[in-house]
Order: sequence, then structure tokens, then C-alpha cells
Amino acid sequence: MTDITQHTAARPRADFLHRFSVRDAGTLIGLVVILVVFGALVPGFFAERNLINILQQSSINACLALGMTLVIISGGIDLSVGPTAALSAVISASMLVAGVPFPLAIAAGFAVGLVCGLLNGVLVAYVGLQPFIVTLGTLSTYRALALIYTGGNPVLGLPAGFRAIFNGSLFGLPLAVIIVAVVALIAWIILKKTPFGEYLLAVGGNEEAAYIAGVPIARTKIAAYMISGLLAALAAQILIGRLGAAEPILGNLWELDAIAAAAIGGASLMGGKGSVVGTILGAVILGSMRNGLTLMNVQSFYQLLATGLIILAAMLIDRVTRGRG
Amino acid sequence: MSARLQFEGISKEFPAVRALSDVSFSVGAGEIHGLLGENGAGKSTLLRILSGVYRPTAGSVLIDGKPVTLNTPVAARAAGVAMIHQELQQVPRLSVAQNMFLGHPLTRGGVFVARREQERRAAEALAAIDPTIDPAAPLGSLKVAQRQIVEIARALLDRARIVAMDEPTSSLTPSEFERLAEVIAGLARDGVAVVYVSHKLDEVFGICERATVMRDGVVVETVDLAQVSEKAVVSMMVGRELAQEQHRSHASPEIRLSVRGLASATKVRDVSFDLHRGEVLGVAGLVGSGRTELLRLLAGADRTSSGTMEIDGKAVKLSSPRDAIAAGIALVPEERKREGIVPLRSISSNMALASMGVFAPRGVIDHKRLKRVAAEKMKRVNLRPFLLDRPIRLFSGGNQQKAIIGRWLAAGTRILLFDEPTRGIDVGAKAEIYHLIEELAAEGHSVIVVSSELPEVIRLADRVLVMRDGTVAAELGRASLSEHAIAAHAIPQTEIETGKAQGHRAGA
Repeated sequence: MTDITQHTAARPRADFLHRFSVRDAGTLIGLVVILVVFGALVPGFFAERNLINILQQSSINACLALGMTLVIISGGIDLSVGPTAALSAVISASMLVAGVPFPLAIAAGFAVGLVCGLLNGVLVAYVGLQPFIVTLGTLSTYRALALIYTGGNPVLGLPAGFRAIFNGSLFGLPLAVIIVAVVALIAWIILKKTPFGEYLLAVGGNEEAAYIAGVPIARTKIAAYMISGLLAALAAQILIGRLGAAEPILGNLWELDAIAAAAIGGASLMGGKGSVVGTILGAVILGSMRNGLTLMNVQSFYQLLATGLIILAAMLIDRVTRGRG
Repeated sequence: MSARLQFEGISKEFPAVRALSDVSFSVGAGEIHGLLGENGAGKSTLLRILSGVYRPTAGSVLIDGKPVTLNTPVAARAAGVAMIHQELQQVPRLSVAQNMFLGHPLTRGGVFVARREQERRAAEALAAIDPTIDPAAPLGSLKVAQRQIVEIARALLDRARIVAMDEPTSSLTPSEFERLAEVIAGLARDGVAVVYVSHKLDEVFGICERATVMRDGVVVETVDLAQVSEKAVVSMMVGRELAQEQHRSHASPEIRLSVRGLASATKVRDVSFDLHRGEVLGVAGLVGSGRTELLRLLAGADRTSSGTMEIDGKAVKLSSPRDAIAAGIALVPEERKREGIVPLRSISSNMALASMGVFAPRGVIDHKRLKRVAAEKMKRVNLRPFLLDRPIRLFSGGNQQKAIIGRWLAAGTRILLFDEPTRGIDVGAKAEIYHLIEELAAEGHSVIVVSSELPEVIRLADRVLVMRDGTVAAELGRASLSEHAIAAHAIPQTEIETGKAQGHRAGA
């Protein structure tokens, strides 16, 4: 303790930079390295069309990962995002097929996400169960509900008008990408500029101290899970818009990609630490890698291997650069 | 006296910082040697070199006259060095014996842990110092003082020739300290060299013969404690004379907080008192007498089971610290790391945490305003170094405490509850905290100070409540305030005392 104090006192400037941007810069460098490598190996990787493709392919994971980042910062985890998305998707989809107006069907899907998140949050914050176990339980529960509701069958034949909403583009960018970019901006503002953001960081950083300082612990945690649920529902809408159908098994293992993106971006599973910019970069890193490997016709087994190695490499670099002193 | 342990010209440099510079002194076999200095003086660095955590940049450590290489904690242990840490490094769920053999268990055939044999050997080692400890009991079931003794017994098992203790008594009661002092004296009689680090000067003067005072990484002087005064040692530590201040009361007749019959489900029962505007009310009592629990009730952190509280004549019901803060009452907790700070966040963020409503009137934080207020409040509490964006965990305990006080100043708190305000804080910062508390009172804040250090209570308080068994056993005015008077009421005693206490309660 003593030595750390002295150690850093001599270079407050470096310390300041370290706190605020070096971690994000590191993630950015990681992304650039990956882009350069694939650019060299894969002809046409840097084509505008392919770059847009990467963004589009990353958008759903980025959307989930933003919610996941807030939950992780609060000291929790949300394993139930995939099934939440599936439940939201099948309910919206069946309403759409039944001829319910688009806004109402979409709103119903969002409401499902919020309710799923609320349940997670209440079990964590008021009942005091561990987030990992709570969301492991709701992971199965929500998935089961989606399967029971649909009898295990996909909901097919979504109206073309609905599909057009999420498949459109603006300024040459797919609408899904723009939506997620807006969500990211909002998440950034929440984390950096609002009391809720401060509360998230405090609750995850030291819950007991936050309590004594008058932070509304339960409300903060519940809000984080509700946002995560809402963003899972948004991801679901984007996906069923793209596919034109909603499967009750959609979103399988989404939680793992979302956690990976957040962790690559610098979120600490211990809570109290995480970055919106980092998470977005993390999602794009994962997306670029998959895109590049697919273009190189690499078997999916190896893609899985590459994903695993990227996560481990990111964590090792994190450890080595931060572990001193 | 042969030098069992000798530091010779030890220097330690970290990038850009010289933590130790040419440190030399020696400790004889059977000597208890105090190591004194403020936080940041280099004591911890020196202990880490001794215990093999750090390697010195220059200089050497000699044991019994021979230079030793202490490159790893294992090497240090093999050389006969045992380290007893301030925050005990033990596994509460394992048994006492398992903890004593942690990392190098006794085995049968190298495979199975010889649990019985471990317990037998542990019992042997414990017998010499505290035979009441059961080696098979889970360590977590022991009191801190006993756990401390287990660490010492472990040093005996290792046949340590040198035992270094870092703030061993920071959470012990006076009688537990007595016991520990006996154990340490026993170690010395067996020829062990003891290096004893503590902030509590009276302890060091009580059990050590000599002490080395450090400041800013260098040895100021190694003194014979029989030849110097505490005051002289303090000025060596801080490098200047600390003014001995007179107590001045700022209490007004106006009652700010009125508590009647307050009780909790567990510890506190039937506590009644009034707190005036500008008053500093001390709360003394033994550890476990319900002082901390009382403060937590007043701060809304725990539930009351009965009783009433009025602030400025209005009844308040506090069901969370959030309610309490809104009512103008807040806690500066004893365990800063656990209950005070959010370690990764900056000083500014930690300060602003309780007054988000003020800094974000329309939902978005006004960072300019936050910076301005943070600068103002941190200047007021004299934060050093004055780096508001730096994570609070990198500051010393005293400066963390200042930031927490700043937090409540920013939140407009009028009643401040201090639980052990200077625990783990060095001498210089201690004086600053005292000064700050007095200034707050002078400005019309009302303050309650819970402290185990009687001189601290006497220095600060206008009036003292002595707690015993969860309730107020006595109230002492400034005139009748002495360590003796407080102790007389704090310690559970014979029927005479009990009669008195009951009489008091009946009168209240």
C-alpha cells in the first residue's frame, strides 16, 4: 500500500492517462492488429461492403454486450440474455403474424425483455441470491417458456413491412448498426454522465461502502438487469427482422459472446470496472475475426478455437500490463 | 548483545521513487525492537524486504552476522524469519492446526495429510502461549486476538529466529494486548529478535527497549526508549513539533438530535441522549459494548427494533443510510476499505457519491460543478497529494478519511458520526483529523466520536457517554473526564457498579 502510493505519486500524469484511456487504446490496438492481419491474408477484406458486413454481424452481440457490461460493472452477470431474446422474439413474432400493429408487437417484445430483467434483478437485489445462479436458473426457465409457448416450432411468415424496418439502411449503413450505435452512445452517457452510472460503478466497486454512502443499491442493480433484458429484446427484434422468422431456440450461447466482448473491452467480472467503448471494440474484434476466418474458409471448429484464444490473450495482456506494483 | 538481525545500507528503488535509502540498524537476540514512522516512511517496504517479498536495490540483511539472500518468502522463512501481518493471512474455514501448517503440511508417505500429527504438534506450540486454543477448531471461530496468537505459535513451529509484527494490535482490546505483550516477551526470552511495528506509541514504549524511527525512507535515529519522551519520538516521526492543543467547546444549548429508548434486535438496548448543535459527543466503551452498533442505528445502516429519534425537533424514521443522509446524518465508518471507499474510483467520485442529486439536478452530472466542489472540499480537508482524479485506493488511510469527510461536507450533513476516526492513520494525519473535527463543531456541525483510544475521546469530546452491554452506563461531563473515570464505567464490575448503572438507567 505504502509503496504503491509513493510509486505512483511521482507520475500522476501517467496514472491519469492509465485510468482513463490506455485500456481502451489497448483494445483498439488489438482490433487494428486483427484487421491488418486479415487484410493481408484475405483479398477483399477491406472492401467497404465487407467492413459494413462486419459491423452488421457484430451488431447483435454488441447490443447484448452493452447490457452485459452494465450488469458486470454492477458486480453481477446475466447468463439469461439468449433465452430472454428468444422469449421476446417468439412473443413479438406471434403477435405480428396475428396481425397486431408493428409498434404494439415490438413494444410487447421490449416489455418481455424488461420483465425478464426485472425478475433477475429482484432475485439478485431483494432476495439476495448470487447473480450467476439466478441467471443460470432463468436461462433455463426463459428458454423453457419460449419452447412451451411455441410448442418448439418456429414462428414463420413475419410481415414484410416489419422486416423492412430492421433491414433498411441510412446513409449507406444498415439500420441495425445505426440503432446499436445510438444504444452505445446512450450507454456511454449513462456510464459517464449520470448518477446511475456512478452508482453502478460504486455498487460493483464496493457495495458496502456504496450502501453507507446512501446509494440505492437494489434499484441500481435491478435497473442494470432490466437494461440488459431490454437490450436482449432489441437484439431479438433485429434478428427476427433479418430472418423473417422467430425460433424458440434462437440466441443459444449468446451470453458467452456478450461476456467475451465485455471482458475483452476491459470489464472486470469482479465488478466496478468496465468501458462502453471497450465493449464495442471487443464486439467488433470478435466479429472481424469470424468474418475473416469465414472468408478464409476456415472450419468452424477453428473459429471457436480462435475465439477462445482471443479471450485468453486479452485477459493475459490485461494482467501483464496492470499487474505490476 | 550479539546482533541477531542486521540491516546494512538497505536501499530500495521503485521506478521514479526511492522508497528506502541506506537503512541500517540492528536487533539483538532477545530484543524487542520498535519500528516507528508515519505511513509512507518505508516501514512496510523494509518488512517486505525482510520477509522476501521485495529484493533490495542495494545493501544486505545479516542474520547472526552472516549475509542472507531473501529472494522469496520461502527463502525468508527458511532463514528463520516469520512475518505476522496486520491483516492476518489465514484461511478461516480451515482448522487452527491446518492454518499453522498451511503451505507445508505434515504428510504420511508424502500423500496423505497427517491431521492428527499436525494437531498434536500445533497443540504443543500453543501450549506454551495459550493452551485454551483448540487446534482442531475452525480458525474462523477464534477471536482476532487468538488468531494473532495462532500466527505467533506458527512462528514457534517454524523455529523462527526473527519475528516481525506489523501492527499486531490494531484490533485488540487492552486486556488482549496485555496477553499478547506477555507472549512477545516470552519470545524474546527464548532469544528471538522481534521487530515490532505499531502506530501506538504507548505500546511501543511499553514493550520495546529500543526503537528505530524512520521518515521518508531513511532512518532518523535508533533510540533507547528509556532515554526519550513520546513527544520527542513523535517529532522525529513527523519532522516537526506537533502543537498540543487545548480543548475548546463549541456546543450550543440548541438540541439537534434527540434519541429516546433506542434499541436494536441484537446489541443495543434502551439508549437515550441528546446531541447539541456544535457539540462533540464522545462514546467510549469496550469493544463489543455496542458502540459501533449504536452508530449504525443512528446512520440508518441497521434496523431499530424500538425507540425514537428526533432531528431538530422532528421525528425521523431511518430505514436506510439514504434516509439518514437526507435527514442530515451520516457515518464515517471504522473500516474504511470495506465500508468507506470505492477503491477504483477517483477522489472526486468518492466525494460526490452521496450528493448525486446536487451534482445532477436534471439527471446529467454537471462535471464542472463537481470538479469545483471537489477542489473546494478537498482543499478544506487538506488532501495530499492534491490529485482529485486519482483512484482513492492509492491514497494513505488519512487522506482516504479526509475524502470521506469531504463527502459528507458536500452532502450538507449536519450530524457526523465518526467510528474510530483515526484507526490506521498516522500521527501527522491524526492531528489534522482532530483539527477538522473541531472545526466542524465550531461551524455548528454536531459530532459523535466513537473511539477505543481514551486520549482521543478526552482530547475531542465535550461530553462522553460510556457504553456497557449495549446501553449507556454513564455520562461524563468535561469536568469529570479522565481515562480512569471512563474505564471504571466501561468495565463490567461487581454489584456496586451494577447497582449504579441500574440507578442511572432508572433515572434516565
